[in-house]
Amino acid sequence: MIDSKAEQSDLLDCLLRMGDLLLDAGAEISRVEDTLSRLGTAYGAMRTDVFVITSMISMTMEFPGFEAVTETRRIRSDGQPDFYRLEKLNNLSRSCCTEPLPLEELHQNLEHVASGRKPLYAKLIGSVLAAGAFAVFFGGTMLDGLVSAVFAVAICFLQERLSHTDVKPVGENLIISLLIGLGVGIAATLLKPLHMDMILIGDIMLLIPGLAMTNAIRNMLVGNTISGVVRLAESLMWAAALAGGIMVALTIVNYLH
Amino acid sequence: MSILIQLLTAFLGSLGFALLFGVRPKHLLLAALGGMLAWGVYLAMEHWLGMPFLSCLTASVFAVVYAEIMARVRKIPALLLTVPAIIPLVPGRTLYYAMSEVVRGDLAQARAYGTETLLAALAIAGGISFAIAFRELRTTR
Repeated sequence: MIDSKAEQSDLLDCLLRMGDLLLDAGAEISRVEDTLSRLGTAYGAMRTDVFVITSMISMTMEFPGFEAVTETRRIRSDGQPDFYRLEKLNNLSRSCCTEPLPLEELHQNLEHVASGRKPLYAKLIGSVLAAGAFAVFFGGTMLDGLVSAVFAVAICFLQERLSHTDVKPVGENLIISLLIGLGVGIAATLLKPLHMDMILIGDIMLLIPGLAMTNAIRNMLVGNTISGVVRLAESLMWAAALAGGIMVALTIVNYLH
Repeated sequence: MSILIQLLTAFLGSLGFALLFGVRPKHLLLAALGGMLAWGVYLAMEHWLGMPFLSCLTASVFAVVYAEIMARVRKIPALLLTVPAIIPLVPGRTLYYAMSEVVRGDLAQARAYGTETLLAALAIAGGISFAIAFRELRTTR
């Protein structure tokens, strides 16, 4: 399959790109390591060593008759999981493991996956549905659910706007939770039948770093302790930012009363 | 009635999160069903045992096992189903009340809610670890 030094480094490039996309889509560390080493073996490497942490992939491959090559890639993920991409990558690596694609085709397939994100309307509809449902789930009235859903649209809009700036997840959570807390607080002060707590709980569910925490624990359990600890610390920071924003908003609303 | 509403909203909430994270339409029903069933397990355990921690732990074990099995059937990463299934167990309510009690100045109440939140998070983590340990036991080399 691999018969020149150039091809060897091309393959390494493709695999690192694959790992980059997988991590960005929200895959667990063990999945990334597993996928990359399987692919290496499928392409005929005698030896594949992969080391992945949340912000970096390092990979060494050795093919019969060639010197081993190592490459490292710095990964910058925005912390927004994309299961649409994750599934496509999973299918690609599955088919590649049984029947290795020519390098050119693998490269094209990867770029094809990279160009398609999950649809924006799905994110909007999902946020509205989730916030509305959880406001009622935790004991709110139908009206609370409706208002929570309206504020979910605002959350989506803010997230979209902030993703084009340099604001990191901690700052993003702080800003969004502060604004949403104030908005809901004012709405509940003006309209008496609304329950501020239930509406906010519905919207908070969207901002809690649930996936990051779940992933952190999973990572630690299967032995990827470094990544687990990093992710856990990160998600605790995000949760603290969320709490900070909400508490400041609540203090201001209490003062207004 | 209240149980029906809870199950229905758990279904819709999980469906919302599945959509939000980009699960494809053909797996949506399976993802939403996972959340509803996990909450059903929680409610049933809560009814029989009356212990929130143990109920949450059981529900979380159920959610992960459900997701692992269904993901294998559909040949998709288990994560796609695990996250929506666990969402209804996330302690959003107690987290909020812990924060609002701090603002109100009632630290004893805040501590009680904070502990409840932490315990729920621990129960979810514990459930995941149980399920993963079983998966590892099953795959012998």
